[in-house]
Amino acid sequence: MSPETAHVRVSHVTKRFGGVTAVDDVSFEVPKGSFATLLGPSGCGKTTTLRMIAGFYDPDLGDIEIGGRRVNNLPVHRRGTAMVFQDYALFPHMTVRDNVAYGLRVAHVSGPDRTRRVDETLAFVGLGGLGDRWPNQLSGGQQQRVAVARALVIQPQVLLLDEPLSNLDAKLREQLRVEMRILQRRLGMTFVYVTHDQEEALSLSDWIAVMNAGKVEQAGAPWEIYYHPRTAFLADFVGAVNLVPAQVTNLADGTATVSFGRHRAEVRRPEASLRAGQDVRLCVRPESFTIAPEGTVASGISLPGTIVRRAFLGDTMRYWVKVDDREWIVDQPDPGGSATLDGPVSLSLRPDRVHVIAE
Amino acid sequence: MRSLRREPALLLALLAVTALVLLFVVYPQLQVVLTPGPGGYVQYLQDGTWVGPLRNSIQLTLLSTTTAVVLGFIYAYAMVYSNMRWKPFFRLVGILPLLSPPFVVAAAYTLLFGARGVISYGVFGQSPNIYGLNGVWGVQTIAFFPFAYQLIADALSRSDPRMEQAARNLGAGSWRVFRTVTLPLSRPGLGAAILTTAIYILEDFGNPQLIGGSFYVLPTEAYSLISSFGEFTSAAAVSTILLLLALGLYLAKVRLDGGRSFVTISGRASSMPRPPVSAAVSRACFVACFALAGIILLVYGSLVVSALTLRFPNNLQFTTEHFQYVLSGTNGDALRNTLVFSGVAAAISAVFALFAGWLVQRGTWPGRRVLDLLLILPAAIPGIFFGLGYLLAFNQRWLDFVDRGWLIIIAFVFWNIPVGYQAAVAGLRQIDRSIDEAATSLGASSIRGFRDVVLPMLGGSLRVGFVTTFVRAVTTLSLVIFLFTPPTTTATIRIYQLVGDLNWGAATAYTVADIGMAIIALLVFAVLARGRIALGAARA
Repeated sequence: MSPETAHVRVSHVTKRFGGVTAVDDVSFEVPKGSFATLLGPSGCGKTTTLRMIAGFYDPDLGDIEIGGRRVNNLPVHRRGTAMVFQDYALFPHMTVRDNVAYGLRVAHVSGPDRTRRVDETLAFVGLGGLGDRWPNQLSGGQQQRVAVARALVIQPQVLLLDEPLSNLDAKLREQLRVEMRILQRRLGMTFVYVTHDQEEALSLSDWIAVMNAGKVEQAGAPWEIYYHPRTAFLADFVGAVNLVPAQVTNLADGTATVSFGRHRAEVRRPEASLRAGQDVRLCVRPESFTIAPEGTVASGISLPGTIVRRAFLGDTMRYWVKVDDREWIVDQPDPGGSATLDGPVSLSLRPDRVHVIAE
Repeated sequence: MRSLRREPALLLALLAVTALVLLFVVYPQLQVVLTPGPGGYVQYLQDGTWVGPLRNSIQLTLLSTTTAVVLGFIYAYAMVYSNMRWKPFFRLVGILPLLSPPFVVAAAYTLLFGARGVISYGVFGQSPNIYGLNGVWGVQTIAFFPFAYQLIADALSRSDPRMEQAARNLGAGSWRVFRTVTLPLSRPGLGAAILTTAIYILEDFGNPQLIGGSFYVLPTEAYSLISSFGEFTSAAAVSTILLLLALGLYLAKVRLDGGRSFVTISGRASSMPRPPVSAAVSRACFVACFALAGIILLVYGSLVVSALTLRFPNNLQFTTEHFQYVLSGTNGDALRNTLVFSGVAAAISAVFALFAGWLVQRGTWPGRRVLDLLLILPAAIPGIFFGLGYLLAFNQRWLDFVDRGWLIIIAFVFWNIPVGYQAAVAGLRQIDRSIDEAATSLGASSIRGFRDVVLPMLGGSLRVGFVTTFVRAVTTLSLVIFLFTPPTTTATIRIYQLVGDLNWGAATAYTVADIGMAIIALLVFAVLARGRIALGAARA
């Protein structure tokens, strides 16, 4: 990534609170106009990182640049980084309109211009007509939209969002997730988003950095993170996964041969360096299998097993299938389209769906 | 720290607040402590005149605190736990003493129980000598049990009714629940309430001064050393002894307050009802409160009757002569002085304390613990000591161009800073930090965010700070006794002088006028604040 296109650059940033290192030598770059997400479990340092970009915390070490300019010494209100807070932080003593107008009033935007922009932004987030309400008269979803409108209206360089959907119920969260993505595309604004919800991160982002214990474990496109996690932590954190101990038996150009139990497969060789005889783990997502009644002939790696448990998840049927002495999680899509399976089954797996984690 | 460097306005504000606190809290107190000098202390300690007042102070504080707390506890228990009738009435009567100078009880006591008292002489035909330890003890008990009641009721009502319901649900009776759940949970709060009552009693100047006779306690000893002998050195030394005692009590209280972690501090009494106590207990509570409220009403009632009669109790003919006297000439000026000084000081103190509270509570700069300590320190400083400090520090010839009223106002402001400050900090804890952060992330500077967002949300704290400071300023005698000049005489000084002259009619009329003025001022304020006023725990 060239320096010109990096809109937010975090380089070698460390932050300690007392004896605890919350953020440990973290570096990343967010391209202009992209939707970047910091994903991780609670306490991983993602919110601390976001708050350092906003200027609420000072990094102990390292630099933060926005638009090519070092902002370490800029106070919060000069950074052009509006923030949407987890609990929205709407001003309870101001109407919706006054909340949204606040940043413009601070910036001395004239009356008529201010009114126009507030109205436009409220309409933009679907709150036209609610300007005279008070925050406590709004539903959670509406409050969330006010918080977004209040931040957007000042046209910040970067919009920072700290778990903005976590206080909403599941249905609304999914709806707003879609809206948020459309909004960002339409504005072409740089978003830096913090969440602990992997689904949210995968569906929203152009780019994800997964953080753990103050460090970035892996950063990249959602697809990359999901299917090619570098560590077992990542594989496990980003969705359900089968992590199976295996051994490298042979290495060739672009492929690796691995053995697990009495099975053997030739799979895509990961970027990490491998040597023959090395213990690795295979990472297979539950939806990568095809499951069929016993005896069905299938292509790819074939694993015969027995169903021990199942759970109906609505859009999929999840099976726990015992293969040799290990249970595998297997998802069957569109369970309404086929009969529920039971007893002995045959699993098949395309080799390119198996990802090797070298640890 | 870096955030301060990035926002010079914030740094300037912090420096200004710190400078004012150093000038008006720390500097005058150091003046008192340093006045005697090492030689002065040695000489004073050797001459031994301090032993009597010290012993008296300790003895009186122990006695009065014990009785005031016992009565206050009964009143508080009845108000918080029982289902007795007339609760709103008892609540109202319990507030009345908080609005009046405590030493008016001494005046009423003399009228009722003195050598020619209505009850002692009129009913029982006795002429007891009320001057001395027993008289002061009785008077302080009556004067301060309403304070103990407010503090204890506050501590008791903080305990979570759900715990008590759980204990009742598990089979414990109401007394057992009170003993095994409520008391242990509120023990730190109760301890703090007791210690706070003890501080009020220790630093009480008016009551021992009026009816102590030859029974001197530390505050009256300090005053008489100056007023009778001009002995500033010894007065400063004895005041320092008083300060050390008060500080000791205050530190013990802070320790208990800090140890309150396991009590549910919601800051607001839960709406959930407490488990009912038996009808017999409620009846007993009613009888006790009725008697205690009766005593309070007797005190204030006798003041009103005396104020409206020619010569109480011998000539009960109705007259407005005393009130005409009170409202005329210099007497009226003193009343006006009290209103103006207290109102101005309360407004300044509430706003300043709120801003300081915000700087300390929201800031991350080093040294904020020190400023925090300095802002609550005046709560531990006896009024007589604080006033002496201002006398020594600011009663300078080159300051003569400043109206002396300002000295009293500034003393009111900083003596009462802890009230508004603690209300502000409590209020700020209720407001999530992200609210301030939202304002700054939208482009407002920190101070702008404070003005636009935090200040309007802290209306409640501001009102508590204003009302409590106003009431404390209206009712204090010890703070102004060293600071007033003829044109800046306040109402409490005037009452004190009239009692000293044994001009009972005028003294009681003046007291009634003073309390009436305070109540009217508060009602006006309540109307302006649309009924939303709260009197904090009366004192810090």
